[in-house]
Amino acid sequence: MTNIMAKLAIAAFGAALLGVTGAIAGPAGGEYSIGFVTENTGPLAAAGLSYYRGANVALTEINDKGLAGPGVRLKLSEKESGSDAARAVQAVTQLAADRAVVAVTCCILSPVAGAVKPVVVNEKLPLVIYGATLPGLPSPPWVYSVVGLPGPQEVKMTKKLIEVLKPKTVTYFVNADNEGFQNRFKAAQKVMEDAGVKTAGVISILASDTDFTAPATQAMAQNPDLIMVWTTQGPAGGIIASLRQRGYKGEISASDVISPAPMFRRIGEPLAGIPFPINFAAELAKTSEAKAFVAAYQAKHKDFPDTYASQGYTAMYLLAQAIRGIDGPVTREAIANALSKIDLINPNVFGGLPLVNGQAEVANSLIANWTKDGQIAVWERR
Amino acid sequence: MQLFLEQTINGVALGSLYALFGIGFGLVFATLGILNAAHGTYASWAAIVAYYALDWYGAPFPVAAAAGVIAGGTIAVVVDQIAFQPLRNRGTGLLGALITSIAFWIILDSLAGQATEHQALAFPATSYPTRMLELGAMRVPIMQVIVITSLVVCATGIYLLIQKTLVGAAMRAVGWNSVAAALGGVNSRIVILLTAFLAGATSGLAGVLAGVTTSNVSFTLGEGLMLKGFAAVVVGGFEDVRGTAVAGIMLGVIEVSAAQYLSTSFRDGITYTLLLLFLMLRPRGLFGSTNFLRA
Repeated sequence: MTNIMAKLAIAAFGAALLGVTGAIAGPAGGEYSIGFVTENTGPLAAAGLSYYRGANVALTEINDKGLAGPGVRLKLSEKESGSDAARAVQAVTQLAADRAVVAVTCCILSPVAGAVKPVVVNEKLPLVIYGATLPGLPSPPWVYSVVGLPGPQEVKMTKKLIEVLKPKTVTYFVNADNEGFQNRFKAAQKVMEDAGVKTAGVISILASDTDFTAPATQAMAQNPDLIMVWTTQGPAGGIIASLRQRGYKGEISASDVISPAPMFRRIGEPLAGIPFPINFAAELAKTSEAKAFVAAYQAKHKDFPDTYASQGYTAMYLLAQAIRGIDGPVTREAIANALSKIDLINPNVFGGLPLVNGQAEVANSLIANWTKDGQIAVWERR
Repeated sequence: MQLFLEQTINGVALGSLYALFGIGFGLVFATLGILNAAHGTYASWAAIVAYYALDWYGAPFPVAAAAGVIAGGTIAVVVDQIAFQPLRNRGTGLLGALITSIAFWIILDSLAGQATEHQALAFPATSYPTRMLELGAMRVPIMQVIVITSLVVCATGIYLLIQKTLVGAAMRAVGWNSVAAALGGVNSRIVILLTAFLAGATSGLAGVLAGVTTSNVSFTLGEGLMLKGFAAVVVGGFEDVRGTAVAGIMLGVIEVSAAQYLSTSFRDGITYTLLLLFLMLRPRGLFGSTNFLRA
């Protein structure tokens, strides 16, 4: 009887102890590696650097303020991919083999993200996509995306252009070799044609093209009321420069690829006044989180963060939020499970960023343009 | 009609860049027997040097362009002496030189990326002529006139140098047989250095002009010229500058016309199919010699 009483007492004490420790449970303290597939070389290096810098600004804040949980620190384990799918797959495979890496983040191009996706699903390694814009990439519990899909913002801008400019005909420039931009162009074209705006022509270019004198001549000969440029960054700048150099004074619109400051430093005044949809612009930051991000980025890099930097920043914050929500050991499975429960990325710099089925949805996109003196402002027709 | 003429001029200007690059590329192959995969980097580096000469030192554009051209030539000489001269001394064949050139392509490409911080830069619009020439109803950018004129001057000058001067005769002799040329009193080493410099400088000029006309000075600039320049050399004939010039212009005109009148999506496919058909009809190229063996 005495033995039974003793055992019951010990069990009760143990249960009480569990109750106490449960109340202060959280992620297990320690330093955790986040795999980061960088694209700091190759054709998209300028954008890749922005993503990387944004992520590092976030990492500093997360560690300094303990935002991933008490006693939790994060560090990046970097592998360069040069925006090449094969190299990205190799990088992720190496990161997956490193058991210290608890999650990974990548990719700018949708084909590269698509190549990496089956690897992380097989390896059961959580992936947060920071740049690719193809719908359908997220696949909870393993794959998530913090990138607001371009469709809604393109549609919003196109409707605004119809309302303000009242074009009758439009000529489109589009990448023949980029499915993401093909989708953007088709979304815009559908809005235009539904509103009765005729397609004067569709001019396909390749991402590797550099000379746009002939395509610009071709577009001008079609005499459209509006030229819409749905291409990757290099061609977008070249097309706009060629159009203005040939004396085209008509209306042009573009996508957010012309928003980074290096684009204005390269192309200059020809970009002024051209509207583009954007989820984040440092000069137009309104929320306290956005302003704090801009200040931190400027302090570190002496430059304004662009939309790509904001996405790299958000990717790290999403992972920190997931880790913070874990009770117990921080494992890949625990992070995946925690990510699947997040329906609002908090904090964020977009003024609200729901996460629906692993896909971030930006509600507050803007229509902006560069001014002649190199500032981003809300678009108003010239 | 106006559109046709404007696009033809666009094609000629574009093809002139291909031809300028191809002339340099062809000189190296014909005289030095080297298929140099790193040749495109000379164009990239020439544009980068010209850009920084303008940006850092405020040099006028002609001076910056000259600096770029000289840089292209100098880099070509350095690469030749470090990479290819040791192979020549050992009598290594084409394959060894090609593999070495690929290594230098990667090295120079990486360095160019570092030099530009992997950004695409552009010459300021105020630094070069931007006005349009009015030719009736047509408007032609003056830079296109400069590009076409540069090709005519360079192609004519190099052709006359090779065909009508003792230096050119020495270059042709070394290209045919360097040992025999040396026995005949030709200083092969000097000829090789001169040829390398000339090839790099010509391609460097193409790079500078391409950087201006495309608003794109980057480490990838030379890659875009490489394939098209190589095609111009193959179609034009390896041994004759005239062929490369004509073939380059043909390539530019076909490319622009295919995009304008057939398909912008299949532009490159159509262009290279037509070139392939031309080679099937005339395998030695436009001005190539009949005893030239192709792989």
